[in-house]
Amino acid sequence: MNADRSASRRDQQIAALAAIAIGIQILEAAIPGPIPGVKPGLANIVTLVTLLTLGWRAAVAVTLLRVVGSSLLLGTLLSPAFWLSLTGALAALAALALLAPFAPRHVGATGLAIAAAMAHVTGQFLLAWLVIIPHPGLPLLLPPLWLTALIAGATTGILTAHVLSDPRIQRHIRHARPPGPA
Amino acid sequence: MRIPGLRWGDAVIAATGAGLVVTAFILAWNPDAGSEGRSLVITQAGEPARREPLEGPRELRLQGPAGTTRVDIETGRARCAESPGTQNICEGAGWLSTRGDMAISLPNRLTLRVEGAEPAWDSIHY
Repeated sequence: MNADRSASRRDQQIAALAAIAIGIQILEAAIPGPIPGVKPGLANIVTLVTLLTLGWRAAVAVTLLRVVGSSLLLGTLLSPAFWLSLTGALAALAALALLAPFAPRHVGATGLAIAAAMAHVTGQFLLAWLVIIPHPGLPLLLPPLWLTALIAGATTGILTAHVLSDPRIQRHIRHARPPGPA
Repeated sequence: MRIPGLRWGDAVIAATGAGLVVTAFILAWNPDAGSEGRSLVITQAGEPARREPLEGPRELRLQGPAGTTRVDIETGRARCAESPGTQNICEGAGWLSTRGDMAISLPNRLTLRVEGAEPAWDSIHY
């Protein structure tokens, strides 16, 4: 009974975080960027907050819900934009999985966000280059993409660090922590 | 501005990322790398494209529907020296030396294009 209740509470938290992430992603899609294909990736803040409060599995769940949910609302489900979004998200999660054991003792949210952002564009680039448009000139796009990922990752990382240190969030984090060793 | 929760690992990741960006820019955007023309690609309507190395000096005579187009080839460059077009558009393209350079003769329905060691990109679409 008690385990059931904590599981459903956890589901509710994941659903709420995914809803916030979908909202951020939709808002971000509505804002025209200076360069097509470049956006700050503010929804990654939610993934990072989830990872650092609810743990690794919740972060995967929130991210996959965000990708599928936002593509349903934007009408891009199963289109190239969806596959690019999914590949980027999975690559970012892979980078976070590698670094998660070092957080928060040796790596903070800023480093995690930079690594995730760079993995995100790298994954998207590989999908675009190998599958969607196998053009030999495409690698020339990689350096500026990495540069924007570095800047965007640092920005979202700093924002995540501030979100996590906010006392109002901190209160939720204590409540949100699953029972057992943290 | 103070960033909460900063650890030494953040600096390592940021430095690695910055190094990756700088290296990628140097490798990919080095203006000298592969910009020189290596061969001249000749496409003519109704014929398969042919590729001539940019070594010379020599002269090619290409027969087309409107007459003969004369192409001069020297080491690293080529030009359309004489073509039947009345507006001299083909000749007006001048020496073609950088990859991507082109000359076109509409009356003879042919294009001359310089290619480098790596194909150049002429446009990017999203």
